[in-house]
Amino acid sequence: MTKATTSIRRQLIFMVATVLILINAVALWSTHIYANRAAKESYDRLLYGSALQMAENITLLDSKVFIDLPVSAFETLALSTSDRAFYAIMNGQYQVLTGYKDLPNIPFPQLLLQSKEKEKFQPIYYEADYRHERVRFVALGKRLFEADNVNDVFIIVGQTLGARDVAAAEMSQMVLQFVTLFFFITLLLLLFVIWRVLQPLQAIKQAITERSPQELSPLEANVPSEIAPLLKSINYFMAQLDTTLSRLKRFTAEAAHQIRTPLAGLNSQAQNALDETDETLRQKQLQHILESSDVLSNTVNQLLNRATLTHRFQSHPFSPVSLDQLTKETCRELVVWALQQDVEMEYVGEVQATINGDEFALKQMLQNIIENAIKYSPKGGVVEVELMADSKKPAASWVLQIRDQGVGVPDQDKEHIFEYFYRSPDNFTSGTGIGLSIAKEVAEHHNARFHLKDNQPNGLIVEVIFPQHSEALL
Amino acid sequence: MMTRYVGWCMWLWVSFLGWAVNAKTTEFVVFPSVHELKNEASTAYQQYPVLTVRGAINREAIAPLFQAYQEKYPNVVIHYAESNTRHLYEQFLTQPESRPDIMLSPAMDLQFKLANDGYALAYDSPELANVPSDSYWRNELFGFTYEPIVTAINSDILAGETLPQSREQLLNLIRSKNHLLDDKIGLFDIQQSGLGYLAWAYDGQQSRSYGRLLEAFGTHQARLYTDTSSMLNALLKGQIFIAYNLVGAYSYRWSEQYDWIRTIMPTDYTSIIMRTAFIPRDAQQPVLAKRFIDFLLSPTGQHILANQSGITPISLNAVGPYSREALRKLPHGIFRPIPLGLELLIQTDDAKKHIIYHEWDSAMLSAEPSLSVTP
Repeated sequence: MTKATTSIRRQLIFMVATVLILINAVALWSTHIYANRAAKESYDRLLYGSALQMAENITLLDSKVFIDLPVSAFETLALSTSDRAFYAIMNGQYQVLTGYKDLPNIPFPQLLLQSKEKEKFQPIYYEADYRHERVRFVALGKRLFEADNVNDVFIIVGQTLGARDVAAAEMSQMVLQFVTLFFFITLLLLLFVIWRVLQPLQAIKQAITERSPQELSPLEANVPSEIAPLLKSINYFMAQLDTTLSRLKRFTAEAAHQIRTPLAGLNSQAQNALDETDETLRQKQLQHILESSDVLSNTVNQLLNRATLTHRFQSHPFSPVSLDQLTKETCRELVVWALQQDVEMEYVGEVQATINGDEFALKQMLQNIIENAIKYSPKGGVVEVELMADSKKPAASWVLQIRDQGVGVPDQDKEHIFEYFYRSPDNFTSGTGIGLSIAKEVAEHHNARFHLKDNQPNGLIVEVIFPQHSEALL
Repeated sequence: MMTRYVGWCMWLWVSFLGWAVNAKTTEFVVFPSVHELKNEASTAYQQYPVLTVRGAINREAIAPLFQAYQEKYPNVVIHYAESNTRHLYEQFLTQPESRPDIMLSPAMDLQFKLANDGYALAYDSPELANVPSDSYWRNELFGFTYEPIVTAINSDILAGETLPQSREQLLNLIRSKNHLLDDKIGLFDIQQSGLGYLAWAYDGQQSRSYGRLLEAFGTHQARLYTDTSSMLNALLKGQIFIAYNLVGAYSYRWSEQYDWIRTIMPTDYTSIIMRTAFIPRDAQQPVLAKRFIDFLLSPTGQHILANQSGITPISLNAVGPYSREALRKLPHGIFRPIPLGLELLIQTDDAKKHIIYHEWDSAMLSAEPSLSVTP
């Protein structure tokens, strides 16, 4: 069951298209509104113009309203070639003086109000259904003077909406065409940009696929600064992989050697013992065989331990472990063996420390370190094990020190001592060379720091510092 | 049973109505269908669809068109009623029950008013492609002819003087003949004839000679007529010597027959009118009516107008002795077609009409009481 992969390209295209569509939709919608308003206003102006021309030709003559409508008023209306038009001239008593007698919805109250207030007449626009069609009307008042006589007439002109609808539709149509073109051009440009931006990723992929599986040298690619960290991470990862691989190679070779050599020794010693006639010498040779097989089984044990630990690291969850109890217990287990080597052991420390961890692994670590310390202690030496609390540092921690009085480790060897099967050139003690490496791996697995220090006047201090509240381990 | 009974009653009632309408419309001239003409015996009782047409066009002029239409649709009967333009308009408004399927009239203003007021049926005729775009309004009113407004003169009055070509020369002639022309000038009665009013009102918009013409007509007690035929008859008989603002088609035909009747298109400007057709919204036979409009505007229909009817058709493509091409070859002034559009509303305005009637009356009544003839 693989999780559906997300594609940056697809996401980008999807988002870009969505944004574009939204923008264009808003643009279209607003131009539609604008087009309607523009058409409405311009045709309202024509209507108003026509009404004004009619108004101009209405006069008072012998206190009678005299109307001589100009052709131009109708020619103005005729500019909308396929619209009907209606008009009426009325007096203040609602009488139609000329024109259509049944125009609907005439806004008389407003007209009379304007008439009463004796101010300049303002055109009133309104729409109504008349003779099977929607009609836009303008109503306009005109004040007529003759000597002392004042008389108001009202001009109503209406026209159907065909031309303005056509004009608005044409405008919208034009914008629609433009927006569509714009949409596709922008989309194409953005697709190109997306392709261009994602090109380096493609280049990296290409570079990786083209490599042989053995090649782990850093990738050389010219990438933008945003992609550079990715390339850096890839390169870092490959370097790590390279190191791990070579370490593994070395380990395998060394392990083979470490097992094969004692086996060969055993083989020849056993052969010698078989051929030996002197009983005392044979006894001695058999003793040697026993020692060699001890070392070999030790090595095999350690290797198996390590394998177990590696497996545990991946599978076992952490649980609370009492570090002080565990340390004391380990000491107790090893004290007999230490005394056999004529080495004293001392546990110092009164703190009680509980950490999250793998008890089995931690015990392996302690055993390895303490055994190591005992092994390198001179006869009559003392190995001190101490557990302290340290609250001074930025993060509080538990410090575990194992001190011996052996020869110590020279500085140039300190960095190699954790490598598998590394043994100091002038080290003649029997040992596998795995113990400390395993100890360090366990420590690091518990997020602890592992240090080597010099003891005074001589000897080695192994220091493991556990963080006190290590959320990282949960 | 009940429904059948009701059905019978309905049938009887419809038959009665049909009879009633027939009785009422005795004014109609019937153009029987081609089928009826061919074998009357076998189809005598058969019901044929009737296309009702009302128009202000001479029956002789329109008949070829009807016959050609019936050739194409052999089972259609056409009823045609001819009347004066104003009468046609008023009848349409006052008798909605006798509205025809087709209205034909040269009074563009009246026809336009009816269309503008929503009485016309919209029809997108495919034949509109054949005619100029300014010859129809919306898809309701269709212009199908292109006819000059002319002046006809009985050349006996000239007595050696040259034939006047413009309104100015006509005024000079009237002035020089003076009392010889008293009671000898024929005009349309603008209050009776829609076409006469349209042509006269359009003159008022176009020229400055309008006032002087009116004054001259008034002082010489012009005779007033309601239709072209009677005016031309009077001209032929010598009752009048000058007939002003006639429809070109009829006048030219008379000129061909009687060489002392001379027709002129005034060279200062020549008004052009269009005869228009529309289908009333409540037409009984809208399908037949639509076919008729199609036929009228089709190349065939236009060709018949240009050749048999003697009426200049609207289409520029029609050829014949009365085509637009032929018209252009005659001496004429600037052609001023009366626009088929909202401008026509001014001609139907009551206030305007009042003014024009008033001017007219005061001019006509200024001299002795006129001896108007109203046949």
